[in-house]
Amino acid sequence: MTFFEDQLKQGVFQICYCQNCNNTIWPSKEICYICNGKTDWKESVNLGKIMEFSKKESTYFGLIEIDDGIRVLGDISSTSIPEVGQLVRMNVSFRSKPHYSFIVENN
Amino acid sequence: MNKVAIVGTGQTKFLKDDGDVEKLLFESANNCIKSTNNCDSNDIEGVLISTNNNSKYLGAILSESIDIRPKISHSIEHLCSSGTNAIISAYAYISSGLADMILVSGAESATNPGQVLEWDKSRGNLGHPIYWGSMLTKSHKRRFQTTEEELAIVSAKNHKQAMDNPCAYDNEARTISEVMNSKQITDDLRVLDCSRSCSGSSSVLLASEEKARTFSEQPIWITGIGQKTTSASFTKNILEEIESTRISADLAYRMAKIESKNIDVAEVHDAFSVCELMAISELGITSNDKSGEFVRNLFNTENRMINPRGGLIGAGHPLGATGISQTIEITNQLQGKSGKRQISDAKIGLIHNMSAAGTSSSIMVLKN
Repeated sequence: MTFFEDQLKQGVFQICYCQNCNNTIWPSKEICYICNGKTDWKESVNLGKIMEFSKKESTYFGLIEIDDGIRVLGDISSTSIPEVGQLVRMNVSFRSKPHYSFIVENN
Repeated sequence: MNKVAIVGTGQTKFLKDDGDVEKLLFESANNCIKSTNNCDSNDIEGVLISTNNNSKYLGAILSESIDIRPKISHSIEHLCSSGTNAIISAYAYISSGLADMILVSGAESATNPGQVLEWDKSRGNLGHPIYWGSMLTKSHKRRFQTTEEELAIVSAKNHKQAMDNPCAYDNEARTISEVMNSKQITDDLRVLDCSRSCSGSSSVLLASEEKARTFSEQPIWITGIGQKTTSASFTKNILEEIESTRISADLAYRMAKIESKNIDVAEVHDAFSVCELMAISELGITSNDKSGEFVRNLFNTENRMINPRGGLIGAGHPLGATGISQTIEITNQLQGKSGKRQISDAKIGLIHNMSAAGTSSSIMVLKN
């Protein structure tokens, strides 16, 4: 299991960035693909924005943009139909693969 | 660079059930060799295999099963566009002079590991293609006011065209209403909006200019090639665009010295209904906001210009064989051998094959 996956298991989405040029590296790597600098980690602020969404059975899902322009697919919890641009809070876990889930803010 | 032509074609029927990849490869390769004029299998200097199957050493296995000892044999995997990438690799071998004749055979079993890109962690637990297909569809509806009916017409058209394709997995007509009322997969996808993973195999023989007319009275020339990879992650691309297709098309048109208006017939990668609308726009055949109207007009006038064999939706999608099957259709069209599917007086054809939500595209232009 990678550090990123282990951290997801702990409920933390770690953002990988270059210690030298400060570029965000996604998916995470030990070496920056721009300057070959060593990378380090910082915790996500766990906030995102809905870029697009749909619904499967009774569950909304969508493409969410989080820290530094990173985009992921995940489930969306909302009491009403979500909207593009809406702010969401992220929860993460790892059960054989990453799980990203989002709750619409001020739901 | 030496000119390269397609001189032989062979296929199996596409089926919903799992199949044995080695047997499927043998069947389509054998049909392909028999389709040529007097081709002795010893004339074949290379065997390239296109598949997502985990079986190893398939180039050598197919070579032994058709009793040849080629100079070149190996496999090529690039998810759904493995087939065209294998053909383009064969083109490169021949045009560079490393070989004069290469067999390209693609095959897949219906259950195969190429449907989900496990590496892409940005998809989380939503790795199945229906999730990115839903995102592209919803986004297209939002930006271009594409209607459910326009999307359904893509599927109805391609199923109708597949009725005349004996290799298609499904030869039943599907009306627009049937598509629109088919099982709902997500709010933005019905089951008949989706291509289906199948088992099946397709093969082509490519030859140098020097050898082409020995083996075929109607060699079909590969005159344009364009390839582009923009990422592996689905989430790094703009939802409303397939940039890799746009760039590949430009490269292919330049190489072939043509414009999109010169294309008489095209096989495009309709993994989902929306992909056909996006592809014909990125290829410059129409514009994004007119793509639904364009396909409606094709359907109403029974014009088979786009996906005459039924596309992926109508014919089925055996990943490693798909790009080769598309190429066979365009080859047959340019030879005037497509029977009920024939586009009259087709001279220039295009193949558009892509992978992983359009993160990469491969395009070929063929001429007779």
